[in-house]
Amino acid sequence: MAGRSSNPISVPSAAGDDGTQAGASVRAGARVSAPLSEGAPISEAEAIARLAQSEDPSQQYYGAWWLGRMRSQHPEAVPLLRSALRQRRARDPGAGVEENAVARNAARALGKLAPLALAAVDDLLEVLEDPDDGLREAAARALGDLRAEAAVQPICRRLASGPQGAGALRPGTPRLMEPCEALLEALGEIGQGGEPVLAVVEPFVDHERPLIRSAAARALLQLSGEQRWGTLLVELLEHPQLQVRRAALMDLGAAGWRPALEPIRRTLAENSLKLMALRGLVERGTGEPAEPLLLACMDELL
Amino acid sequence: MTPTDLPPTEQLVEAVRRADSSQALLLATRELAASGDPGAAPVLVEVLGFNNPGAAVAAVDGLIRLRGAAVEALLRLDAQNYGARAWAVRALAGIGDVRGLELLEEALGSDVAASVRRAAAKGLGTLELHHLSTAEQERILQRCLQALLAASADGEWVVRYAVAVALETLAERLQSRGQSLQALLDGLDSLAQPADGNPPVVQLRARLAVERIQRP
Repeated sequence: MAGRSSNPISVPSAAGDDGTQAGASVRAGARVSAPLSEGAPISEAEAIARLAQSEDPSQQYYGAWWLGRMRSQHPEAVPLLRSALRQRRARDPGAGVEENAVARNAARALGKLAPLALAAVDDLLEVLEDPDDGLREAAARALGDLRAEAAVQPICRRLASGPQGAGALRPGTPRLMEPCEALLEALGEIGQGGEPVLAVVEPFVDHERPLIRSAAARALLQLSGEQRWGTLLVELLEHPQLQVRRAALMDLGAAGWRPALEPIRRTLAENSLKLMALRGLVERGTGEPAEPLLLACMDELL
Repeated sequence: MTPTDLPPTEQLVEAVRRADSSQALLLATRELAASGDPGAAPVLVEVLGFNNPGAAVAAVDGLIRLRGAAVEALLRLDAQNYGARAWAVRALAGIGDVRGLELLEEALGSDVAASVRRAAAKGLGTLELHHLSTAEQERILQRCLQALLAASADGEWVVRYAVAVALETLAERLQSRGQSLQALLDGLDSLAQPADGNPPVVQLRARLAVERIQRP
């Protein structure tokens, strides 16, 4: 459906779905969001040109985002994103720009550009060792999206010190020493590694932060298929914080855990997120409840 | 006059107006929504604009319960009040009153939020038409069909999913089985294709719709 990618509607708005801010970024800082001021539709050539110039980083930022969002297959896209990945720039609080914002968006975009972006796995592995934890987070997610088996060992090394090390609070900030959520999710998405990987992930189901517990349970469920991890995620659907329930919804969807159908239907959260989770159950899950029941539940939530 | 001297609905309205926290507003809105009194409609519509998603959900439920009695108040809403309009579209989609047709068409075609377009699509499949003449019913069904077919190229999967569901409900109601039904089935066929960016769940739902329509 060629017309779809040029549809102006598909550029997300600044306002979230469901009249809240939840639509674009379900998990804190996790997902790609559109720059606010540049929402007008542009062409692929324009996105390439914006990324290729170096005068205006905000244009590069938007160009990188666009190429990922539209899953561009332009031959210049991956090479340009790889060089953008090397761009370092201090945070500009006045302009509301994150540190290394262009490189982060380049990493996120590469995650959406398989198979062409498989050529960038080595660059992303390098970024996984960057001092900027936001950049490490974006690289980890991209490597997970690309199912890059080469990332399993480096990610496990980052997490090996466990909840007390990698998962400890970074002094003076609300952040953890490592972007644990992204690292754990990537291991689950890649889905490889067996016992040694499970041993690295499992201690995180006891992390003090429920979002980390949820990410760990999701990875374990994806890696082992064991029911106890699905049960843990279903329990998190009853957590008093909406943010945690939203994360558990996304994690159950990512793991395609079909026994969660009824708890997903009942949890207190936006229908948009329930629909995303149920889509995951349909597309990634198997067994009971079967598809007709899942689809009937989705129909009701529209 | 103290609040307890007021008639019941007005006491509930008073409670909504006096709510001084989002939790209080949510509880008061729920009670007002449960009253089922048509007099509550304008206040429930006001709540849609308070930027309190919990209360807005309760207000939408209450407005849907009022059915036709809520429609006038919903249609009077200021087009500039974007947040409230998004909720109003959901209420109108749930009510299924034909007076909401134009707003639903507009929302499906041009609202920026996928959740609003999704609700509008669903609503266009379920408008209540039994009180209208056959010719009038057919005219409205044609408008719904055209709006849904146009939205089958929407950029968001969830909107296309809702279009597939709505086309299925619409098919049962179309009296002219010829050309229109064929156009409808063609629309579903395009949604059933594994094209780039069209996820399996949408394809699956569209195929299910085609099977159900063609089942003798």
